Amino acid sequence: MCLILGYFAKNKFFMIHNLLQLFGVTEDKLKELTTISLAEGGDYSDLFFEHTLVDELILRDGEVNGAGSHIDYGMGIRVLAGDRTGYAYTEITSMKEMINAAKSASIIAKDCKKLEPAVNVTPLEYKNHYPIMVPWEESSITSRSIYIKELNDRIFSLDSRVNKVLGKLTISLTEILFYNSEGILCADERPMATLSVTVIMQQGSRIENGSSSRSYRMGAEFLTHQLIDEIAKEVVQNTSILFDAEIPQGGEMPVVMGAGGSGILLHEAIGHSFEADFNRQNISIFSEKFGKKICSEEISVVDDGTITSNRGAVNFDDEGVPGQKTYMVTEGYLTSYLHDRISARFYNTASTGNGRRESFRFMPIPRMRATYMLSGKSKESDIIASVKKGIYVDTFSNGQVQIGAGDFTFYVKSGNLIENGRLTKPIKDINIIGNGPMALADIIAVADNSSIDNGAWICGKEQYCPVSCGMPSVLISKLIIGGVQQ
Amino acid sequence: MKLNHNISTAQFALDAALEKGCNDARITLNESRQNTFTFRNDQLDRLQQATSSSLFLQLYVDGKYGTFSTNKTDRKELLDFISKGVEITKLITEDKDRGLPDKNLYYRGGEGKDLRQYDNLYSDISTEQKINIAKDCNYEILGKDERILNVTSEFSDYEDYNLIIDSQGFMGETEQTGFTISTDCSVKGEKDARPEGWWYESSLFFNKLYYKGCGERALERALKKIDPKKLRSGRYNMIVENTVSSKLVAPIISALNGANIQQNNSFLQNKLGEKVFSPLLEIYDDVHLPESFGARYFDSEGVATKPMKIIDCGIINTYFVNSYYSKKTGLPVTIDSPSVPECYVAGEKNCNIIKDLHFLLNKSVNGVLVTGFNGGNSNSSTGDFSFGIEGFYFENGECLFPVSEMNITGNIISLWNSIIEIGNDPRTSNRWLIPSLLFENVDFNGF
Repeated sequence: MCLILGYFAKNKFFMIHNLLQLFGVTEDKLKELTTISLAEGGDYSDLFFEHTLVDELILRDGEVNGAGSHIDYGMGIRVLAGDRTGYAYTEITSMKEMINAAKSASIIAKDCKKLEPAVNVTPLEYKNHYPIMVPWEESSITSRSIYIKELNDRIFSLDSRVNKVLGKLTISLTEILFYNSEGILCADERPMATLSVTVIMQQGSRIENGSSSRSYRMGAEFLTHQLIDEIAKEVVQNTSILFDAEIPQGGEMPVVMGAGGSGILLHEAIGHSFEADFNRQNISIFSEKFGKKICSEEISVVDDGTITSNRGAVNFDDEGVPGQKTYMVTEGYLTSYLHDRISARFYNTASTGNGRRESFRFMPIPRMRATYMLSGKSKESDIIASVKKGIYVDTFSNGQVQIGAGDFTFYVKSGNLIENGRLTKPIKDINIIGNGPMALADIIAVADNSSIDNGAWICGKEQYCPVSCGMPSVLISKLIIGGVQQ
Repeated sequence: MKLNHNISTAQFALDAALEKGCNDARITLNESRQNTFTFRNDQLDRLQQATSSSLFLQLYVDGKYGTFSTNKTDRKELLDFISKGVEITKLITEDKDRGLPDKNLYYRGGEGKDLRQYDNLYSDISTEQKINIAKDCNYEILGKDERILNVTSEFSDYEDYNLIIDSQGFMGETEQTGFTISTDCSVKGEKDARPEGWWYESSLFFNKLYYKGCGERALERALKKIDPKKLRSGRYNMIVENTVSSKLVAPIISALNGANIQQNNSFLQNKLGEKVFSPLLEIYDDVHLPESFGARYFDSEGVATKPMKIIDCGIINTYFVNSYYSKKTGLPVTIDSPSVPECYVAGEKNCNIIKDLHFLLNKSVNGVLVTGFNGGNSNSSTGDFSFGIEGFYFENGECLFPVSEMNITGNIISLWNSIIEIGNDPRTSNRWLIPSLLFENVDFNGF
């Protein structure tokens, strides 16, 4: 491990050197651009250079018969004047175009107090949370195709009701060069590998579909026969169960949320409401809850950018702040919001490294990374046994939240009824809705089985960002379950 | 500054693709610029300005197909990118159904009617004017109610240019401008709640952006949402406001998509020509409606568009099938997706009676007026859906109290068979012109 870190530290220097060349800039030019961006006034500016290459292979009707490759290249300049933001980007990194962008962004700070940018360049210290074992360059299109075809064949072999398989392998590498008016300079290579599959199954005249995915910041070591087998079994199992499932009777009832993907509850019910831009603007339902007890002391919730190879991992965020692990809820108390630089200044605290953006086309805002709840002490089986009538849910597709009202939802693809302490009939296709603070306070049992879901979760707050989530099994005493009148 | 309309780069890419070994190719060039000005409370909070240009390449090599895109358009780099693209495409499996469409289906011009998509004033509108519109919307309500916590108004505009050329000789250009103003207002609710209300207006033409009152409507909607209640689970009549009614049309359009039909992943599979929905329902693609957001003469393959009935008296009249899925399924090519879908009572496209929200509230006697959806989804294979909702409980045409934290659940086919009235009040700010809708006996899930 030390050898890998040592190699990385040495490699950082070369990475900066290479990316300065790639984007056609020098340290002096970076300084010049920050000086121009702050010429009208303002107290901070940063430059975010990006080159992203996305390769994809698509499986349809039993063959890998679609390929793609996509380049996105450009840089964005941001100027801050207090909590106000000016932003402009260009896809051409000539000094002429970048100076134009700097001038556009600087308008926000007109007539504001002016801060002189740093004279010295300071390389950022950070750890590497996504080591690459096998570079993707060493993996040919043909070898990647073999794995996708294997996924198709494995899925068809598992169940005769499989009718169609649609698969996609997406490999991306984003190269980032960052510089700001404090003189911080850093570079990063952010890999992302995602394998996703949708299966259509038919039983008589009835058709059901299901999806599964895995996504990591990894090199070509991502593709293994074990991964293929895992995804194939999961998607067939999750889809085949739908033929026995029904939409339950709706209404208010206890909900046991299974470990892993139930982390969508945290993401929607509290995660967004803890993002400090909403609290700074006084529009979050948690705006006046900082430092207060908001739930059981058995609950601690973390947003973590440091999990090795995790989809939400960041070596540094998109504001040049090193990735870190942030305790949002500690033993029932709200102990931290998720900060970018703007909100950190507003609250007079340090950024938590949550300033993220979709690409150079967007300004950074507070975003989650990997959000999960720590394990409690209960056993999942005991939790289920304690419920007389309710539902158990463990497969989800999407969620949403209203920040001010606190109402959140998530869509359950499948689960089970709980009757007299036992899992019984499968259920499917229901929306669950609740209120964030109330749902958090209504968590009355936390199991000892916390796990991260490594599916291809995407957060869509204004712009898209890769995230992940996790959860131990928990019992929420009441939520509103979608359903039909029996 | 005008966009470049860099036709020569697109032509260079097409020539290069053919020279490098493609049998056929389609190149789509997009150029755009956008501005956004956000005014929060009493100050300019954000400004964002950008200009973009990208090339999208569809390469057909020996029966194999690849899609590629880049915004690096330096000729040398582009040539290298295309060479690699051709090599990558050669490595995958053949798909004989891939190819350019039948040339006879192409749009050939000569329609004559201007679809009125581009505002020539676009470059003349000053930054100050744009900022002032956002500012004015905020100042409509700032200080008007002590419960206001935060007001944010955003003015955004864009200019967009698209060029499609292909190796069969098709060439088509489109230009569009757009302007949007939105206001979001948060107010102090019961306990810690901070209900939000929003309103927005959009137009392709700056002088038709009716922004006045945007702030007031946002505040009014926020204040009405204070102290919501949950209803007891049960079946209620449901009115869906024209601001969000397209949410219930989207699953139908998705189920008609050729890709879903070919993948056997549509609850409308094998339903062409069948009566599936209420005979009241007509959905029409008014694709050449001037000054509407989606109006166009050709689709992304260059295939000519024409106005057509999608659903006629509840009968499925068409799928949306591009040339690829046409070859896959044997269905005729239509277009890739609807452009300007409208929804009305069959035979009442030109109805003179005003059927707005007020009309529907009075017709229904009681029920739930849905003004917003909160998450949820629908199953593309079965049509089963479950959506979170917010809105108001109403009786005798009057909204009595706000409701939230509830779901509606059912099946899209059943839902659209329970439609009892379709308004004629679509918002022209929306791309889809879907009016307010009234359904009966919808399953609501509350306490």
